[in-house]
Amino acid sequence: MLGVIVLAGTAVTLWLSFVATPADAVQGEAVRLLYVHVPSVTVAYVACGITFVASGMWLWKRTEWWDLVGSSAAEIASVFTAVTLLSGMVWGQATWGTAWEWDPRLTSTLFLFLLLVGYQALRAASPDRSSRARRSAVVGLLLVPNIVIVNRSVQWWRSLHQDATLFRTDLDFRIEGLMLFTWVFATAVGLVLLAWLLMHRFRIGWLANRVEERRLGDALTARRAEATS
Amino acid sequence: MLVVVVGLGAVVVVRSLDDATLFFRNADEAVTQRDDLGTSRFRLQGLVVPGSVEAYPGGVAFDVGFNGAVVPVEHSGDPVELFDDGIPVVLEGRWSGTNANAVYLSDRMLVKHDENYIADNGGRLDEADDGSGYGSANASPAAAAGA
Repeated sequence: MLGVIVLAGTAVTLWLSFVATPADAVQGEAVRLLYVHVPSVTVAYVACGITFVASGMWLWKRTEWWDLVGSSAAEIASVFTAVTLLSGMVWGQATWGTAWEWDPRLTSTLFLFLLLVGYQALRAASPDRSSRARRSAVVGLLLVPNIVIVNRSVQWWRSLHQDATLFRTDLDFRIEGLMLFTWVFATAVGLVLLAWLLMHRFRIGWLANRVEERRLGDALTARRAEATS
Repeated sequence: MLVVVVGLGAVVVVRSLDDATLFFRNADEAVTQRDDLGTSRFRLQGLVVPGSVEAYPGGVAFDVGFNGAVVPVEHSGDPVELFDDGIPVVLEGRWSGTNANAVYLSDRMLVKHDENYIADNGGRLDEADDGSGYGSANASPAAAAGA
């Protein structure tokens, strides 16, 4: 069901982004990257937030459920952070005249991506399930502080990257009409996509754990059979 | 002991970041710091002063302004695609000297797009082109001082 909503929503988003919305007065056609870049980073932030909460909950409750929610969301977050970085590079090349600068916003976002990749490397490097869950929960707690730095970087330091258009304290939105609607719509579709991916990734993770247990059980039975024969 | 080490580490990081995170100097700061800057390289941010753009063989000359100060720029190479009157730009280069009629010699140009999105249609175009909407919050000295 969610998958159907995502598919239909993506089709409508594509139509809105490429056909219905106007070009920007300064940026021209390049503005259409807005509808990919900003929703991607929003989904990445929400996914990181889920991992952060799940990490905290795992450290408290120590249940498989929270470990799987956290790790599933982190995996999705890394994909959306990669999309954010790549679409940002294309957009930067088109408007700023450069694909990459070591500016505070760009550097802190790259750091977030590396943190998410590190999270997964750490999981892969920890064979035992409880140490794997503990280590990744600790890294998971670093995600939200990192996001705060990424988000505030354009205010704390000087950046080539622009300031917020929508999430402003003065509530004076710097975008209008259909462009704003398309942005909000694309973000909503992105969040449904996140829910859909999270559900399936959780299911796969849960099944993988059952397979692991089954193999361990089989190995134990085989070993016992060896010992008694 | 650990607290002291972490504390010292934090001081070192913050102090070095202070310099490293100064991505650009605004035009007014570039003018007041001209003696200190000498002919060392730094990034300069300002709005292209409308009507000041003049192409010459191998480059383009124009003025950038910020917070009341104006810096004359000689940029070698092609300007970037979105370069125009009233657009905020970040340039890489250096002062030609420390005297009052020094110019900023730039060899790299980036456009600093702001957070405003305006539909490209008749009436709005005039509004967008007068440049009054430019100069975002993070470029202001007040915001930088709060860092």
